[in-house]
Amino acid sequence: MSASQSAVRSRAEAVKVSRTFDWLILFTLFFVILGGYHVHFMLTGGDWDFWTDWKDRRLWVTVLPIVGITFPAAVQSVLWWRYRLPFGAVVAVLGLLFGEWVNRYFNFWGWTYFPVNFVFPSNFMPGAIVLDVILMLSNSMQLTAVLGGLGYGLLFYPGNWPIIAPLHVPVEYNGMMMTLADLQGYHYVRTGTPEYIRMVEKGTLRTFGKDVAPVSAFFSGFVSIIIYFLWHFFGKWFGSTAFTQST
Amino acid sequence: MKLIKDKVAKLSFVALLVSVTAAMFYTPTASAHGEKSQAAFMRMRTIHWFDLNWSKDELTVNDTMTISGKFHVFAGWPETVDKPEISFLNIGIPGPVFIRAGSWIGGQLVPRSVTLELGETYEFKVLLKARRPGDWHVHTMMNVKGGGPIIGPGKWVTISGSMANFKNPITTLTGETIDLETYNLSNTYFWHTFWYALGIAWVAYWARKPMFIPRIIAVDSGKADSLISATDRKVALAFAAGSIAIVAMSMSSTNEQYPVTTPLQAGLLRGMKPLEMPAPTVSVKVEDATYRVPGRAMQMTLTVTNNGDAPIRLGEFNTAGVRFLDAAVSKDESGYPDDLLAEEGLTVSDNSALAPGQSRTIQVTASDAAWEVYRLADLIYDPDSRFAGLLFFYDDAGGRQMVMVDAPLIPSFI
Repeated sequence: MSASQSAVRSRAEAVKVSRTFDWLILFTLFFVILGGYHVHFMLTGGDWDFWTDWKDRRLWVTVLPIVGITFPAAVQSVLWWRYRLPFGAVVAVLGLLFGEWVNRYFNFWGWTYFPVNFVFPSNFMPGAIVLDVILMLSNSMQLTAVLGGLGYGLLFYPGNWPIIAPLHVPVEYNGMMMTLADLQGYHYVRTGTPEYIRMVEKGTLRTFGKDVAPVSAFFSGFVSIIIYFLWHFFGKWFGSTAFTQST
Repeated sequence: MKLIKDKVAKLSFVALLVSVTAAMFYTPTASAHGEKSQAAFMRMRTIHWFDLNWSKDELTVNDTMTISGKFHVFAGWPETVDKPEISFLNIGIPGPVFIRAGSWIGGQLVPRSVTLELGETYEFKVLLKARRPGDWHVHTMMNVKGGGPIIGPGKWVTISGSMANFKNPITTLTGETIDLETYNLSNTYFWHTFWYALGIAWVAYWARKPMFIPRIIAVDSGKADSLISATDRKVALAFAAGSIAIVAMSMSSTNEQYPVTTPLQAGLLRGMKPLEMPAPTVSVKVEDATYRVPGRAMQMTLTVTNNGDAPIRLGEFNTAGVRFLDAAVSKDESGYPDDLLAEEGLTVSDNSALAPGQSRTIQVTASDAAWEVYRLADLIYDPDSRFAGLLFFYDDAGGRQMVMVDAPLIPSFI
């Protein structure tokens, strides 16, 4: 076979090879994204995602969508503009959640015995689906950034509320009121995580009374728009192909 | 020659495999908490723990035990460590092998951070409930913001039984009694599985058609728009609308199911009540202090003045949780950890009773292997070479007075 001959001899064989490549690339892509996104998220979201007593209505709602829209934006940029595949955000979130669950189950529970109901990860899937669909229907990064970024921030809290609400039921404990999530943080001893490093309920959003979560979600959505713009450029750069001039 | 080379290569490979296998299967238990690695001045000049009591050293799963005692917040707190304005009474254990069922300072529950005052002494108690079987080193511990964890003395405690039997019942303010160990677990698994499945369904919809190679060829040849069909758009719309609808409905049904929820509770607890200690009638002036490196002994020259109305004798020097006792004056009856107790480690040049109104200059030597074992001798390499500790004087009636000492320390290498 010369160098100019095709490696396949029929259309059926070409389709088969193409499909094999599809699965190989998807499999590799999933784990590469998982690794990069997971490390990024652990470093930037960290404790807000690890513990239920950090999942508050101000900073958790604000910080996590902002640091969580990064890889979805970048992966979307590559998969949409190079392949017209509209599942960049979802595949990124699937990778992240898979990595997080492996970490929480085998590391937090399996190694150090923190109960899973205290250390489960946050759910980003509703925002990711909406982000992918907006890009697909609009074919516009600008619109995806503005509408999708905002939606990503706004859907985060309600998308997680069915999971965390039971832990916000109040309890009286030795003369003090706290939520069940607070009690988990108090009961399950974290030697290296003293209470004072917990960044919850800090800020000046007092004008809105008890309804601060929607305000935080809107703010998070606005910042997510900017972060989306920034990170889609990373994706564009990573997805570019450069050829050198033959002499 | 080649035969020898081949054999060496084979044996090297076998040795490598054996080493890797051994490294994989040899997993010794981590049994301490790095207390010996913490700078000596951090342990000697910040929080002084004393009168400690571990109520049990053997218990079964679901049993409770307490650690109680006092701690003195050293007035000469080192400049290099932030002051304990935001501190948290913690417990040094390897993860949640116990749960912290309660912790109190001066009788007040302290689930949050507190402000401590320099120079004050506080009573504390931590209630622990056994959760995971094993032998665990249980330390007192104070986390100080800007200072890090300040770990106190530790004692081995054995838990027997099975973790599967552990229960953590809590009654909420809505009247429901739940087991916090497993509460909300099935709900968490359900929602995460549901959303994950929906995500997989979205990817699977696209993955059932050719993905990468044919699509990049189409995009590069300007046929990108042909890759998205009208059906694709309808399916996408259904996914997005469905997701938003599910979020809205699940939030609404959750609010109906849990009508009473409160935000996380946070905030600093100020005004911790210190222990009212009687003013000591003994005054101590440190004339000089040296640490003799070869002898593992610290020698102090002290001028002691008894301003009280009863004769007194020096019985104990306590620093960084290590207790040096003069056995003729003081004995431990609390079951204090052996490795931190030098029962005959305190030698006083003249420890006869010091009568009221009298003053005496004495040579005090605190010697024990604990200086090395607990790396307190490393004090001589600290940025501020001073020592500090508590001296306990006793009278014949069993009365005890605590005096704080703090002075420069000169090392002696010969």
